[in-house]
Amino acid sequence: MRARIGRIVTITWPLAFAIAIGLAATAMLRLSSANATPGFARQTGLSCQACHTVFPELTSFGRRFKMNAYVFSNVRQLEPTTERGEKTLSLSDLPPISVQLQGSNTWLGKAIPDANPTLTSLSDESTTEFPQALSLFYTGKIADYLGSFLQLTWIQTNNAVGIDNSELRFANHGMFESIGVRDFIYGLSVNNNPTVQDVWNSTPAWGYPFITTNVGVPPVAAPILVGQLSQESAGLSGYLFLSNHLYVEGGGYWSAQTHFTNATTGGPGPLDSTAPLMRISGTAPYWRVAWEEAWGYHSLSVGTYGIVAPTHPTGVGNSGPLNTFTDIAGDAQYQYVSDDHLVSVYGTWINEHRHFNNRNLVDHEDNWLNSGSLTASYFFRRKYGGYVEAFSQTGTTDHTLYASGTQVLGSANGKPNVQGYRFELNFLPWLNTKLGVQYTVYTRFNGRANNYDGFSRDAHNNNIVFLYVWTAF
Amino acid sequence: MKWLVMGLAIVVIAPTIAIEDAAAQNVARDLIRRECSTCHGANGISGSPTFPNLAGQQAPYLEVQLKAFRDRSRADPHAQAFMWGMAAQLTDATIADIAAYFAAQPPAKGIPADPAEVAAGKKIFEEGIPAQNVAPCQSCHLQNAEGNAVFPRLAGQHRGYLERQLEVFATGLRANPIMHENAKNLTALQISQVAAFLSSR
Repeated sequence: MRARIGRIVTITWPLAFAIAIGLAATAMLRLSSANATPGFARQTGLSCQACHTVFPELTSFGRRFKMNAYVFSNVRQLEPTTERGEKTLSLSDLPPISVQLQGSNTWLGKAIPDANPTLTSLSDESTTEFPQALSLFYTGKIADYLGSFLQLTWIQTNNAVGIDNSELRFANHGMFESIGVRDFIYGLSVNNNPTVQDVWNSTPAWGYPFITTNVGVPPVAAPILVGQLSQESAGLSGYLFLSNHLYVEGGGYWSAQTHFTNATTGGPGPLDSTAPLMRISGTAPYWRVAWEEAWGYHSLSVGTYGIVAPTHPTGVGNSGPLNTFTDIAGDAQYQYVSDDHLVSVYGTWINEHRHFNNRNLVDHEDNWLNSGSLTASYFFRRKYGGYVEAFSQTGTTDHTLYASGTQVLGSANGKPNVQGYRFELNFLPWLNTKLGVQYTVYTRFNGRANNYDGFSRDAHNNNIVFLYVWTAF
Repeated sequence: MKWLVMGLAIVVIAPTIAIEDAAAQNVARDLIRRECSTCHGANGISGSPTFPNLAGQQAPYLEVQLKAFRDRSRADPHAQAFMWGMAAQLTDATIADIAAYFAAQPPAKGIPADPAEVAAGKKIFEEGIPAQNVAPCQSCHLQNAEGNAVFPRLAGQHRGYLERQLEVFATGLRANPIMHENAKNLTALQISQVAAFLSSR
């Protein structure tokens, strides 16, 4: 009797994961060639790993690609010249277009009570979103020295398409041989979110978590630099990167005009002052300074950034007393980038002082909010790995500002304090596709561990298990 | 009359060629300033072993490599990830100018390494390993490892880069029949030793 020799195929956990998500992508696993990659890769011919450790985190080369205004290009160009030899256009044959798709399932620790109508956008015990977000990118060269990162996103939660993190950038190299500076990069950025133009992953716009649920319970407060001005402001800043070490940037942010009337209805238009936007009055100055050292496979950067934002209170109009938010922040980032092992650590601490001239919303004229996080990540061959984050927020007690008496969203003791951890495991079957399971655990939420809202909701009820697929192509 | 015409021709053509030459040189200088220097350093000395030092490298060797990146005949993983895109649009003239620029830069100084490793590596470099069919490296790369025409300078190169190249020569991921024959018989320890020696020169 002949023994049958068969091959035993082990369904490993990551493989089961991929099948379970049901990604109906390509059936055949192929080595990704330079032809089958998103916008920047199409434009440059570089594989993702040249600029990224694991997307969206940037390597040292990726930081410089961004500082150079995304213009590096290796596709054929349309480049007409005048009789005097001047180039009047430099348009890529191939537009750097790409698409990003995110799908997810969110499990919330404890379901939100049904009765409350303001909470309908938050999660029930389990919420599936496919897609969670769908984005179209134009990212890359527009002309010599001019490039853009433009993102348009549809989000399932509010079924709306809108402009996402976007930036237009001009940059060039120069030399100051006479003072020993062999090479410097200088540039200008126009963008719609403070820190979206930053090249390190230790500042809010491109910091960890790079993706998270849209339907979790949001803490009652966050510093203005953490997403409060994103896509609701426009900024212009100039920057200088000297000798591969010192980065200096300064500029300002503005809000759009308000009191705009809808021509058809005669009623308030989309930029009406009653819209729930954080609107800057005048100019909000922004700065960013960082120092980067690199040696062998390591790099280390340390920096500071901040903004001073005088704002009109929501729904009040263009006149009246202003509330000023002053953020002073520090950050640091370490990376070890080799083929087999990739280790990153990034952290930031934001100290925010708020001065309320408009007293209707607050108990105290002055209050503080301090917020920080520290993240460590490890990846093996850019395929298997994960992240661990510890985050913390403390602030002045204020019962009016922090919505005491509001179910789920408020703070019974009037403190904005939040504390917790985030753990994430990832598998990347291809460089442009990330599968993840992320667990967020709150040890303190809106001031307390237990019964934080006065309606018996505990911090751990807001814990989240977030399962996702994130791909760009 | 013909001397006048000849003279006029020279006066008109020569500066045009000079300007064209200068313009072409400027393309290379521009690329070096904006692209190459990002990884290889403005003076050809890079910070990370992932990207080799190019300063003082043999110009013919650099030209061969850039053309090999352009036509994709050099296909080791880092070549694919970084250099295929970089070289795709380069003309022969630009390649020659880039190679000339880096060849003219002062080479990197050696970085001291463990004396025992360096001594062992020196022995391999000078004498080869006859028992393992490994030829003496200096027979092509010359006595001071400065290289010769298409045989590259090895002295002062990053240790990590040299180790990786010997590995991809050995496995054939970087196609080169001569280096494949020499590298495939080296043990990992010997690769480490010869790389330590060369990076310390």
